[in-house]
Amino acid sequence: MNDMRIAERDVSTSETKIAARGVQVHYGTSHALKDVDVDILNGNVTAFIGPSGCGKSTFLRCLNRMNDTIAAAKVSGSIKLDGEDIYDPKVDPVQLRAKVGMVFQKPNPFPKSIYDNVAYGPKIHGLTRSKAELDNVVETSLKKAALWNEVKDRLHAPGTGLSGGQQQRLCIARAVATSPEVLLMDEPCSALDPIATAQVEELIDELRGQFAVVIVTHSMQQAARVSQKTAFFHLGNLVEFGETGQIFTNPRDPRTESYISGRIG
Amino acid sequence: MSDISSHRERGSLLVADARTKRRNAAEARFRAYGMIAIGVAMAALVTLLVSIFGNGSSAFRQTFVTVPIALPAETLDPSGSRDPAEMAKVTTIGYGNVLKAGVVAAVREAGVAPEGIADNDISGILSQEAPAQLRSMVLANPELIGTTVETRLLAHGRIDGFFKGRVTMQSAERDSNVTPERLQLATAMRDAGMMSSGFNWGFVTMPDASDQRPEAAGLGVAILGSLYMMAVVLCLSVPIGVAASIYLEEFAPKNRWTDVIEVNISNLAAVPSIVFGILGLAMFINFAHLPQSAPIVGGLVLTLMTVPTIIISTRAALKAVPPSIRDAALGIGASRMQTVFHHVLPLAMPGILTGTIIGLAQALGETAPLLLIGMVAFVRDYPGGLFDPSSALPVQVYNWTQRSDPAFVERASGAIIVLLVFLICMNAIAIILRRRFERRW
Repeated sequence: MNDMRIAERDVSTSETKIAARGVQVHYGTSHALKDVDVDILNGNVTAFIGPSGCGKSTFLRCLNRMNDTIAAAKVSGSIKLDGEDIYDPKVDPVQLRAKVGMVFQKPNPFPKSIYDNVAYGPKIHGLTRSKAELDNVVETSLKKAALWNEVKDRLHAPGTGLSGGQQQRLCIARAVATSPEVLLMDEPCSALDPIATAQVEELIDELRGQFAVVIVTHSMQQAARVSQKTAFFHLGNLVEFGETGQIFTNPRDPRTESYISGRIG
Repeated sequence: MSDISSHRERGSLLVADARTKRRNAAEARFRAYGMIAIGVAMAALVTLLVSIFGNGSSAFRQTFVTVPIALPAETLDPSGSRDPAEMAKVTTIGYGNVLKAGVVAAVREAGVAPEGIADNDISGILSQEAPAQLRSMVLANPELIGTTVETRLLAHGRIDGFFKGRVTMQSAERDSNVTPERLQLATAMRDAGMMSSGFNWGFVTMPDASDQRPEAAGLGVAILGSLYMMAVVLCLSVPIGVAASIYLEEFAPKNRWTDVIEVNISNLAAVPSIVFGILGLAMFINFAHLPQSAPIVGGLVLTLMTVPTIIISTRAALKAVPPSIRDAALGIGASRMQTVFHHVLPLAMPGILTGTIIGLAQALGETAPLLLIGMVAFVRDYPGGLFDPSSALPVQVYNWTQRSDPAFVERASGAIIVLLVFLICMNAIAIILRRRFERRW
């Protein structure tokens, strides 16, 4: 199997979902992110790669304002979701996060049943009117996350009792259940074994049909396999952003080339 | 690398080298210290329990005299109306005379009286509380008047002490409260079945009694007062403490002000309890004019003491909840409040409950601040509510240890046993609740 196999590229029909312009992030005195411009397209998987501490996760967390929970973080610049500035004072981050779902590095299911994990989002956002409707949402979400067949007989068993890969897919199902428009994934496979990783990657490819997917990853092979667009970050700068095929085969910036060939990072 | 390994001698694995021996000896010594420490702690605990139970368990048994008492209508109900309000005009002195006549007649008739014993010595085996016992029995049931009733009455404290080994014939000769003749009579009456000992319900139901009648002293008022105070503490300190810690931990910005508040809460937990007593006296009694000796004031003072403990343990429990759970909830669009109440709080519950119950147990055993707000007063009326004068369990222990009659030593130890039983019950509840709420993540 060729790990550097490049995913199918069909970036033709995409419209811009998120447009970030001149985004700067300061954590107290340290300047974590410098002047980043990125367009996230609908129906695409966008991968953020770069060495540790380069700002890729920071940028990801700007996209659903999870940085708000860190008191020292200051974000400037503009990030527009469908043309609306998400940092506008009138925006309630809670409403934004219902539209921009997130999957974290470490699987973090709630210590509740599998069913309750998935049903929690729809419940708090009032997406369903009846128990049957909710059952339906849970089932389709688990199916989308390719977990339904494994857990359909034990929906009321605790979600924390699943294996690591299953837990991560449960977290994806939980994020999918609120029918977000963008799905952010922060190194979703770093705690998983290769088989679980392959399952999650397959899933990511299926999910991009319904929403824009943004994935932060340490693995360049993963970025190459699942994404259509790739952004390379280095020391808080966005070094290069373009189509994945071009980034991996014909990088324009020497730093990108060094990173891809393993000389920095 | 090679120069490091060259320093090490090439010995056999079967023989421990000097360095290994030293390390093993150090470990063995440390284990021994640990075992000695645990041994000392256990010995202290065993000594404490043995001394308390040895002294106090006899408080739960009491000597009673069972004699037929004739209740003449002409002395007890001069009006003949059988109306309790009318009959209440006859005081315990009237009942005392009836009682004396009854017990003297019964003893002489049974033929257990020693040669030449005086009537006063015969009636002296009864508690000074006995007339009041008889009076309340008759007032509760006026139909008894005119009949002769088999009555179970408290024996005098010295007689009770004689059967418990506290009083001897020798000590009785020097004692103005009892004579050797009375002790002989008591032995004879016990042999005749007129005197017996039984479980002392009165110890947990009756109110405190004066110095002269330790046999009638009970914890009823103190237990009730402690329960009222615990109710006040529970209703005030838990909501205040938990709400304050949730706000500080989950919502408050981290700045200089919250730092100052945090330091002050920690300091408050270390303030000596008597200071809270002075504060309570100044604030609740002198300024707010709440009644003295009332459970409401005691409860408020103990609340002030308990809140810092609850805040500290609740914040520790909230901090222990992994941040990934908060991220997960916020990430799917839960609000801060939903995150806290749906996910963080249930996970922190075992810790919060443990801290709360430990705080309450501490408050239950607290004595010093209660002394200052007047709960040390002698109270014989059961408190009907939070504003009535009352006593409290630890204060009752303190009170009884101050009395001169040795019978109160037994009572004080017995009261400690009751207090310990309450504390064990509270800790058991804490353990049960923690088990029930415990979840893994």
